[in-house]
Amino acid sequence: MQSSGTDRSRRLLTAAAGALLAALMALVLIIGFRLATRIRDNVATLRRASLLQAYPSELSQQLTALRERLGTLEYTGGVQQELSDSVAGVNRDLTALEHRRGLDPTLLGTAEQLWRAYGPVLAPVLAYAGEPYSDTDFGSSLSVSGKMYYTQVRRAELFAQSHAPALHRQLTALTAALQKRTSNAAARLRLLLSAGVLAVLLLGGAAAYLQLARSRGERAAQAAEEQTRDILHTVREGLFLLDADYRIGSVWSQALNHLFGREDFAGLPFEELLRDKVSPATLATAMKYIKLLWGERAHENLIKSINPLGQLEVTLDNGRGGKETRYLQFNFHRVLGAKGVKHVLCTVADITSNVMLTRELHEAQESAHAQLDMMVGMLQSDPLQVGGFLDAAAAGLKHINAILKEPARSHAEFSKKLAGLARELHAIKGEASALNLMSIAQRVHHLEDMVESLKGKSELDGNDFLPLVLKLDELLAHLRAVREMIGRLGALQAPASAPADTLSSPVLRPVGAEELAATLQNLARKLAEDHGKPFTLSLEGLTEVPAQYLGALKDCLIQMLRNAAVHGIEPDTVRRAGSKSATGQVRAQFQRQADGFELVFEDDGAGLSPEALKQAAVRKQLLTAEQAAELDDRAALALIFKPGFSTRTEVSLDAGRGTGMDLVAKAIYGLGGRIGVSTHPGRFTRFKIALPVPRETAVA
Amino acid sequence: MLREEELKTFVDGTTRYFEVAAQQPATIGSPYLLEGEPAMHDYTGMINISGKREGVVYFTAPRAMLTVLLMKMQESDFSHESMRDLVGEVANTISGNARRDFGHDFVISVPSVFAGEKPQIPQPPGTRAFVIPIHWRSHSAKLVVSLT
Amino acid sequence: MSTDNARERRPVRLLIVDDSNIVRRRIERSQQFDDLQVVGTAANGIEALELARRTDPDLVTMDLTMPQMDGIECITQLVKFKPTVRILVISALADKATAVEAMECGANGFLNKPFSDRQLNEAIAELMA
Repeated sequence: MQSSGTDRSRRLLTAAAGALLAALMALVLIIGFRLATRIRDNVATLRRASLLQAYPSELSQQLTALRERLGTLEYTGGVQQELSDSVAGVNRDLTALEHRRGLDPTLLGTAEQLWRAYGPVLAPVLAYAGEPYSDTDFGSSLSVSGKMYYTQVRRAELFAQSHAPALHRQLTALTAALQKRTSNAAARLRLLLSAGVLAVLLLGGAAAYLQLARSRGERAAQAAEEQTRDILHTVREGLFLLDADYRIGSVWSQALNHLFGREDFAGLPFEELLRDKVSPATLATAMKYIKLLWGERAHENLIKSINPLGQLEVTLDNGRGGKETRYLQFNFHRVLGAKGVKHVLCTVADITSNVMLTRELHEAQESAHAQLDMMVGMLQSDPLQVGGFLDAAAAGLKHINAILKEPARSHAEFSKKLAGLARELHAIKGEASALNLMSIAQRVHHLEDMVESLKGKSELDGNDFLPLVLKLDELLAHLRAVREMIGRLGALQAPASAPADTLSSPVLRPVGAEELAATLQNLARKLAEDHGKPFTLSLEGLTEVPAQYLGALKDCLIQMLRNAAVHGIEPDTVRRAGSKSATGQVRAQFQRQADGFELVFEDDGAGLSPEALKQAAVRKQLLTAEQAAELDDRAALALIFKPGFSTRTEVSLDAGRGTGMDLVAKAIYGLGGRIGVSTHPGRFTRFKIALPVPRETAVA
Repeated sequence: MLREEELKTFVDGTTRYFEVAAQQPATIGSPYLLEGEPAMHDYTGMINISGKREGVVYFTAPRAMLTVLLMKMQESDFSHESMRDLVGEVANTISGNARRDFGHDFVISVPSVFAGEKPQIPQPPGTRAFVIPIHWRSHSAKLVVSLT
Repeated sequence: MSTDNARERRPVRLLIVDDSNIVRRRIERSQQFDDLQVVGTAANGIEALELARRTDPDLVTMDLTMPQMDGIECITQLVKFKPTVRILVISALADKATAVEAMECGANGFLNKPFSDRQLNEAIAELMA
């Protein structure tokens, strides 16, 4: 990343500066050492040179002293020895100077030359070893050799006096040159040291600057890191990267821990993360989906809608020891590097509240639809009819509640309830759909489904009935809403209409014959439309139906009409092929008989097949195959009055629960009547119902 | 509207109490909707729920059942106070379960206990009460849940 | 129509594959790009492949559930025959596994039915980019 790059170059720079500084210091030290050594040598030379400087005049003085001593006949040995020492000193020092490097050779050469000139005059003086004095009676005087010696000394003195200044000058010049050299070297050393100090200061400054810059860079990097950590710590979504092996990277947001109740995400295969949380099929699809992101063809934005983990229902610990259902949303984004997809960034959000809100909205919408549906239904039918239905439904539900309330502890006791529940529900559904009250019919249908699924269970207990009673409560609430709406509608239409309580309310008015006819015709139209089977319904003599029978017969007629439409009448294509009229005929005829009443209900449809009925009964396990084989046609036909019988395998709102004709039969038996069926395959099905005269005469 | 998970939580809280306290689980009978006056046995432990949702949950049991329960719990004190404590305990367990499962939405009161006298049970308007019979050994008690 | 005199870029050639007339017209109508040209409409996979060979489309909108040859088979063949073609699946399919399979076979994007004009135009723009 960018910051680490500048960091590295800065570190390199610092290292280079350090190396340079060290090299420079070494150089300064070496040169300084050599300069210092040279200065030391120069100083020694200088000392010799300055000593040399004094010799010429010293020699002159010594020679003079020697001569004077000879003149006064004093002892000369000591002075001669001093002179000899001086000559040796000059020789020694000059030789020493010759070995000094860098000394101006001409200056030294001239000095040596001048000195060499002293040699011949000094040599006899120095070499003299005789007795200079001779003692006589008259006193002492110079001996012959002493006189010669005197002459030699005098000559040497004169030579020295005349040559000393030149030699002295030469030696002074030599000293001056040496002095100049030494001071030059000292100046160079000073310069070198100053330069060294300056360089050290400069490099030190640079190093300090670089160090400062680096720590500033480090601080910035540290701050960035801290911010990243804060983000990962605070963000509400689970964030992590997936590598090409679908493993989670080494960094993830804190929220992920809470969402999944674990902390060991580093390197965890994504499949592992979800293994217990989703079905294997969904997981497989999800892995394929992520793989799409590693490929090149799929556009990230254009495959979001098919993300299989867009809304995932999971059960999570709620942190208090319990479980709760949450909804998680996984999103996947490509992270692109220089060479295509580098990672896939995965975000996990808890969208439970969103889902709940959406669901509530959806429910509200559905309820609005249901209300509209209800309004349309009620506007189409007579409000009084709907009121009657609501009363009947309330009574039915009250009965259902009574069935539920009967104590039950064993499977058998629970199981016994189911048939009664199914019958009641089926009746309510029939009437609701007859009145086009689809929102109610659908709810009841749902309840029926639940009852139906319980029938298949081998072990039933109270827990299985909990959803049922909840649904029942919901249905009651819905019925009450409908009733309230009718109240409002009624207030609009006829101010006198009285609202009533759901569970216990008096029947508004007995069902009238006209109402019954309207309901049936309405239902017939709807059934013909829904099933795409055109048929007409003709009703005769319904006005003859005694008031006591109206309620029960209505249920029966609705059921038989539904059966005729669903099972009896064939689709028009089949009818044409069978040279029938395309439109089916359904007829209900009620008439007074000598000993009571007779209701004939018939359709010109496919008729009933005794064989098919027997097979169905075996399939439903109402009969064994052996029992079925023994039944004659008549007994086979009677199977349709058996509880739990149906020839249709798929279940729809209109029929097929197998509680249709047993409900009819039960109602007829309840009125003290009889029911029979006759059929001709391909031509008709006919029900004949005989009813006694009601015990109490109807009050018209 | 009461949800199935919620009802389940209350029911499980109750049956679990029996399982834990008496090492013998209770079973639930056929649930139904309450019509008319609340059905009360001798002792009743009740919690009030407020907050986003409102309502009451109560456990009501006959003296005989509570006596056997106390015996199973190795108790020797079958006084009126003991009975009251016991139904209060059951209500407490239910409330604990509810707190665990829907701590966010529910504010749950400290259990109140009634004996004999017919308490004023406030029923939120527009809601029906669910009655869940609780069978344990040969005895029956009731769990009643009424929640908006 | 010559494609060379329409500026430097040739228009994007669109092939619409859907067994429903209504949807086909809907897609034809909604596209609002100057440089998009509908070169054909097909009602099933076989027709679509034939048309694709004749018209050389750049972009194909593809239904999944069609008679004779379904969308997934058609996508597979189409990509084999012209790897650079871009395919937008437009389907009412609720089954995400099939949708993902279509992507695996080489489709580039997915649009759910029903869709708005805006959604369709955005999807096409994304694929043309």
